[in-house]
Amino acid sequence: MNPIETPVTLRINGEAVPLNATLDETLLTVLRDRLHLTATKRGCNQGVCGACTVRIDDRPMRACLSLALNCEGVDVRTLEGLERDPRLLALQRAFAEHGAFQCGFCTPGMLVSACSLLAQEPDPGEASVRNALAGNLCRCTGYVKIVAAVKDAAAVLRAEESRS
Amino acid sequence: MTALQGLFRPATVAEAVSLLAGDPEARPIAGGATLVAMMNAQVLEPAALVSLAGIEEIRGITSASDGRLRIGAFTRHRETAASSLLAGTAAAVRDAASKIANATVRNMGTIGGSIAFADPGLDYPPALVAAAAEVEIASVEGRRTVAARDFFVDWYTTALAPGELVTAVLLPRTDSGAAGVYIKHARVSGDYAIASVAACRLPDGRLSIAVGGCGPTPLADDEANRLLEDDRSETAIEAAGAILVSLADPLDDVRGSADYRRLLIPRLLLRAVRAVDAASRRDCA
Repeated sequence: MNPIETPVTLRINGEAVPLNATLDETLLTVLRDRLHLTATKRGCNQGVCGACTVRIDDRPMRACLSLALNCEGVDVRTLEGLERDPRLLALQRAFAEHGAFQCGFCTPGMLVSACSLLAQEPDPGEASVRNALAGNLCRCTGYVKIVAAVKDAAAVLRAEESRS
Repeated sequence: MTALQGLFRPATVAEAVSLLAGDPEARPIAGGATLVAMMNAQVLEPAALVSLAGIEEIRGITSASDGRLRIGAFTRHRETAASSLLAGTAAAVRDAASKIANATVRNMGTIGGSIAFADPGLDYPPALVAAAAEVEIASVEGRRTVAARDFFVDWYTTALAPGELVTAVLLPRTDSGAAGVYIKHARVSGDYAIASVAACRLPDGRLSIAVGGCGPTPLADDEANRLLEDDRSETAIEAAGAILVSLADPLDDVRGSADYRRLLIPRLLLRAVRAVDAASRRDCA
């Protein structure tokens, strides 16, 4: 353990957040235990499960593998910070309609990864969706409904886009 | 020497190696994909880390002034997997990058961090050996390069001395007709390889083969390569495979038994040889 706390200012969901962190403290710990942004889940804490997926500089990354002190100067966006993103709303509706979860623990990470995919690829094929979600493990339902929900959300967004 | 504490964020390689030279316990951190997982598991509890994130000169893929391709140590797997510069034999390295873990981890992990860890199940080591890569290493003494074949020394052990830092991977640039592939066999997409084979084809048709996941370091053998020089028959591939099997020292683990890994080598070799010849024909067409 390294008990020395160092002051650092992180940029989280568009706001500058000054705080103190120890060297071994991860972004995940800061988000959940210091800032109470609990959409980001602590699953395996070793980068395997994807429950802690957040966006760092617009790309999905693991909060559990990111040291808080090393996140100075990057832009962190959690699921809470995506709430005004129309892609998230479409994904939430599609997940609900498809029953794309059971316990729900993996869902925030799935949504962050899927949101990033739809920002880059408005019409992803099945392989693209599976590739984008390959780092997010679900131990309840399997992936069929989740993949269907993401493709459906993409279709809804494309339809909205063509109407406007 | 004074023990360092906390996170250091040097802007140049010179500053980074001077920090590392000052405290042998200080660890460099790149993408964090491995180091932070080990810290979370309390396998490592460093008092000081030297972050490489602010060092511009070790980022990205470029054509070096000597004509070779240079992958900076801090280049993320995502970027390596997408680089059109990595053509010819260097395509094996691009192919390996695209098969590492999953998209999220590829956004984080770097080639320097990956090879310095030197897990025998990693995807880069066999691809780098087959592609005749060199690893560029910096210390306060200056820079040196080591052939990838000599960089991987033993289980989780590299040629890096204390205080040294990987700064780049250098790859020969090859002409048309050259190709490189990386064939990975894993339980599920994105897992560590049970076994893997990288195959590079030089413009004159000669092959360079390396096997991953079947011993402490990638398996490569000049005689095996020579057997395949003008003969790509199944008999020749079987003979080359037998040499590589004789060099293997695989683990029995959750991913597969040592015997299973030995059985995979000639089969993956066959696929790799067929794939690399097909890739070079596509390139010529």
